[in-house]
Amino acid sequence: MNILETKGLYHDFNRLEVLFDVNLKVKEGERHAIIGPNGAGKTTLFNVITGTYAPSRGAVFFKGEVVTGAKPHRMVRLGMGRSFQITSTFNRLTAFQNIRMGVLSRRGIRFNFFRKVDKMEDITRETDEILKRINLYGERNMPASALSYGKHRSLEISMALATDPDVVMLDEPTAGMSKDETRYAVELIRKLTEGKTAVIIEHDMDVVFSLADHITVLHLGTILASGPPDKIRKNKAVKDAYLGEMEG
Amino acid sequence: MTRRVKGIVGGVILVILALYPWLFGIYFTNVIVTCAIFALFAVSYNLLLGYTGLFSFGHAMFFGAGGYATALALTHIEGCPLLVALLFGFLGAVALALLLSPIVARLAHSAFAMLHLAFSMLLYTLALKLRGITGGEDGIGGFPIPPFRIPGVVSVDMTDPLNFYYFAMAVLCGSLWVAWFLTKTPFGQIIVSVRDNDKRVDYMGFKVPQTKAIIYTLSCGFAGIAGSIYAMFQNLISAAALGIAQSFAPIVMTMVGGVISFFGPIWGAVIFAVIEELTTRYTERVQLVEGLILIIVILFFPGGFIHIVAIVKGKLLGFTRGKGAGLIKGKWFGK
Ligand SMILES: Nc1ncnc2c1ncn2[C@@H]1O[C@H](COP(=O)(O)OP(=O)(O)OP(=O)(O)O)[C@@H](O)[C@H]1O
Ligand SMILES: [Mg+2]
Repeated sequence: MNILETKGLYHDFNRLEVLFDVNLKVKEGERHAIIGPNGAGKTTLFNVITGTYAPSRGAVFFKGEVVTGAKPHRMVRLGMGRSFQITSTFNRLTAFQNIRMGVLSRRGIRFNFFRKVDKMEDITRETDEILKRINLYGERNMPASALSYGKHRSLEISMALATDPDVVMLDEPTAGMSKDETRYAVELIRKLTEGKTAVIIEHDMDVVFSLADHITVLHLGTILASGPPDKIRKNKAVKDAYLGEMEG
Repeated sequence: MTRRVKGIVGGVILVILALYPWLFGIYFTNVIVTCAIFALFAVSYNLLLGYTGLFSFGHAMFFGAGGYATALALTHIEGCPLLVALLFGFLGAVALALLLSPIVARLAHSAFAMLHLAFSMLLYTLALKLRGITGGEDGIGGFPIPPFRIPGVVSVDMTDPLNFYYFAMAVLCGSLWVAWFLTKTPFGQIIVSVRDNDKRVDYMGFKVPQTKAIIYTLSCGFAGIAGSIYAMFQNLISAAALGIAQSFAPIVMTMVGGVISFFGPIWGAVIFAVIEELTTRYTERVQLVEGLILIIVILFFPGGFIHIVAIVKGKLLGFTRGKGAGLIKGKWFGK
C-alpha cells in the first residue's frame, strides 16, 4: 500500500514553475530516497507535502486520506515527521528540551497549565531514552546552539523522530557532515527509521545506495525515474542527467 | 541555588513583606505596593518579550483597561464587592486582548510592536475623548473602595492603608506566583519554543497562532490585575495609565532587570523604585538618571541586572556554564 502519494502535483513561485506533474508513490515500510541535482525541486516537494505551503495544483494523499494543503502541525498529528536541510532547532533550549517537545507533542500534551513539565517523570524518562539512543545524553543540558555540528545535525534529525511518526521526511540529513559524521549519521538513521517509512533527500550516492530500498530521481521539477536502486543505477536517462555528472 | 535555599529566600522575603508596615511605618508601604504593581506589570510584559519573543510597544493598554474596568465597576455598580471589581479589571484586559488577538497572533517582530503602538495611541485618544465614560483628562476617581468581605465570616475595611497593603500584596504576589508556575508547565515550554523558532514549533505538532493568542491573553490579564490594583490603590485612573510612557515602563524595567529570567523584571521594578526614591530626594529629574542607567545596561550588560549577578556568581564560584555563559554569547531579543 502507498502510505504517501502525490498525484499531478504542481508548484510555482510567482509563475516560476518548480514542480511539474509530480506523481510520487511511497510504500509503507520502505526507505525511499529522493535524488536530483541542486534546484531540482526536492525541498519544494517536501514543503508541499509537509504543509509549508499548498501546491498550486494536484493532490497529496497520506494514509489514504487527502491532505492537500494541510498545515504542518496537522501533518505531524497525522503521523508525519520532518527534518530540515538547514538545521532548525530551538537554539536556546537544551538538547533535552528540544527532544522533549516531540515527546510532549506525541502524548498530546499541549495546553497543559496545571503541572510542572519537569515533574512529568514519564516524559523525562522517554526523552532521556531517546537522548541515549542518539548518543546525545552527554550533551543533555547543553543549549542546541552550543552543540558541535555533527551533534546538532543528529538533534535535528531526532526531533523529526521524537514525535514517533509513521513516515519521516529527512531533507539532506547528512548535509555538511564530514565522512565520519556521515557514516555515523547513516547508522543512526538506519536504526531510528527501523520499522518506519522514511523519505530521504540525499546527495551522497554512497548514502543513497546503502540506505534506500527505492529511489526516485527528480529532475527539473519532475520525476525522471523511480524504482529499486539497481534499476536506477542502470537507467540511461538518470545516468545522463545526474549520476554521470556525479561520478564523472 | 538548590531548592532548599530558594525556599528559604522566598520565605524570608514573604516574612519581611508581612512585617514591613510594622518595621518601617505605613507611609513607606506605598513604595512597596507601587513597586509590586509594576513588578507584576513588567513580568506580564516579559511573558511576551522574554518568553515568547514578542516585542510590544503598547502593553499599557491592558494595564489601563484593567484600571478603567475596575474603576467603572466601583463607580457604577452599587455595592460591587472588592473581588468582583478586581475580576472586572482582569476581564477588561482579557476582553481587549481577545478582541486584538485574531489580528496580532499572526504577527511578529516590528509589525507586532508597531501595531500595539498604534492601538494604544487610539485607546489613549478614546480615553481622553469619551468624557462621559472615562472622565476625560480628569479620569475616574473618588470611587468607593469596598471592604474585603466573606459574608458571615469577615469584613475587612480596605480604606485602612494597612489592610489594603496586605490585600494588594496578596493579589500581586499571588499573581506573580501563578505567572511563574505558568512558565514551568508544558505550555511554558511551547512558548519559549515559539520564541526560538516558531516554524519548527508547527513542525513539532503545535499550533503557533493559538499558542500566541493564549499567552497573549494571559499576559494581558496579568497586566489588567496590576492596573486594577493600581486604580484601587490610587483611587484614580486616568488616560496616562494607558499612554505611551506607561507602555515603556515595563520595557525598561524588563531590560534593566533582565529578559532571560522570570525574576529579571521584578528586579527591574525594584531597581527603578529604589532609584526613584533616592533621586527624588535630590532632583526632579528622575528620568535623567533612569535614562543613564538604561544606556549603561544596554551597552555593557545586555542581559540586565540578572546578567551582572550571573557574572559575579561565575567569578565567585568559578564557573562559566549555565545562564551566565549563554548571556555572554549575547542575542536575547527576537531572532
Ligand atoms: N520560496 C521560494 N521562492 C522562490 N523560489 C524558490 C523558493 N524556494 C525554492 N525556490 C526555487 O525553486 C527551485 C527548487 O528549489 P528547491 O529548494 O526545491 O531545490 P532542491 O532540489 O531542494 O535543491 P538543493 O539540492 O540545492 O537543496 C530553485 O530554483 C529555487 O531557487
Ligand atoms: Mg533542498
